Amino acid sequence: MSRVVLVTGATGGVGRGIALACGEAGWTVWIAARREAEGTAVADEVTALGGQGRFVRCEAGEPASVQEAVATVVATDGALHGAVHNATSGLSPRPGSVADTTLADLRDHVAVSVRGTYLLARESLPHLEAVGGALLVLTSEAGFEGKARLPAYAAVKAAQRGLVRALAREWGPKGVRVNALAPLAATPAVDEAFRRDPAMSERVLGRSPMGRLGDAATEIGPVARFLLGPDAAFLTGSTLLADGGSCSIS
Amino acid sequence: MSTLLLGTDAQPVRDLARALGAELVVVPDVDGAPGHDGTDWAWADALEAWRTEAAAGPATGAVVVAAWTGDLGAPTPLDDLDLGGWVARHEVAFGRWFAALGVAAARCGDHGAIVAVVDKAAPLDCAGRAAETGVADAVEALARSLARSEGPRGVRVNTVTTPVRLTSPPVVLPAPPLATFPGTIAVEVAGAVRTLLGRDAVGITATTVHADSGRTGH
Repeated sequence: MSRVVLVTGATGGVGRGIALACGEAGWTVWIAARREAEGTAVADEVTALGGQGRFVRCEAGEPASVQEAVATVVATDGALHGAVHNATSGLSPRPGSVADTTLADLRDHVAVSVRGTYLLARESLPHLEAVGGALLVLTSEAGFEGKARLPAYAAVKAAQRGLVRALAREWGPKGVRVNALAPLAATPAVDEAFRRDPAMSERVLGRSPMGRLGDAATEIGPVARFLLGPDAAFLTGSTLLADGGSCSIS
Repeated sequence: MSTLLLGTDAQPVRDLARALGAELVVVPDVDGAPGHDGTDWAWADALEAWRTEAAAGPATGAVVVAAWTGDLGAPTPLDDLDLGGWVARHEVAFGRWFAALGVAAARCGDHGAIVAVVDKAAPLDCAGRAAETGVADAVEALARSLARSEGPRGVRVNTVTTPVRLTSPPVVLPAPPLATFPGTIAVEVAGAVRTLLGRDAVGITATTVHADSGRTGH
């Protein structure tokens, strides 16, 4: 069955990988992002793979923008089967201690990751409930174990896991599933984090049993597609790690 | 060993300070600021100023953080929680925790211990508590981040969770393993904190102890 899904922050990295994987299945994929040129390019890739790619402008932390994006999807395609919150703050890869992190910086992390989850969840719920759909939130192994040099990022990724757990309880009776996915993938953000903290690459790859980062399109995207699709019909409230066995906490 | 407690000026926090024999340093209650709904984080300026001032205080060997929201409010499904409510229950609360844990790291001396005590409902009981559950998970991760960053100087950082202020009957079945659920601040919570601050816990860091009478189940 063809599905209609919206993916925030899908102009690159894991979001793009999810979009392409869903496109391969013939789904309609909305690239919800700020940058139109990059978003349209990913939408074109989705279409080239056999899906239907579309772009809608979306500022993940802005209520009116999220509301308008979801309304556009439903007005155009008549349904929303899956909502994916992948967008993160541009500050995510910037290393620093808790003391180095101002509350202004924290605000940006919170606005995009956590408020963005809250906004997308609320706007999507009636449409997901109408079709028995699913909400998927992209978190991180950082949300399990913390990060010495990325404490704000780790905290908001953990907060998202908490939201997912509670929402799964609240929305189960409505027939809407809520899950999280914690990938460890080669993305521009990870590249940037490695560049800013050269020892990070050794730390991250050194503990991974597979010794490498995942591929966003071929190894992460299909896991997200599974969580959004009918094969995961009895799966809710979980955080699935797609990290090559890297995370030390399950 | 003198214990510093960084917490809001709420009665349960005072109860915890009394049970631990700790000196209370009050974290400002910024959510009471009039004239705005909090979405713009204007309230963070007061927290930032407090963080700078409080971090400059003398070091101590044991720091407990209980940056608790004074009034947690009734359980509310996320779809019934408007943005102002969300900001008050999640963003302001987490901002306060972030500032307070930053001060804890600054004030904790080498080879000391920090314990964050956070309100958290067990997975069975977290419906209607998405905002608070998100804060609790964020605090646990933040404590683990601090355990990693402060570990090289011998500082341990752990978390105690408690459902005391979040639990209202009836609870979802099955019943918790211990009839004492949800416990009390003075006994179950303070006991877990004392254990983690003490010398017997010298090898324990980056851990979460659920002082919830077995409700969490792992």
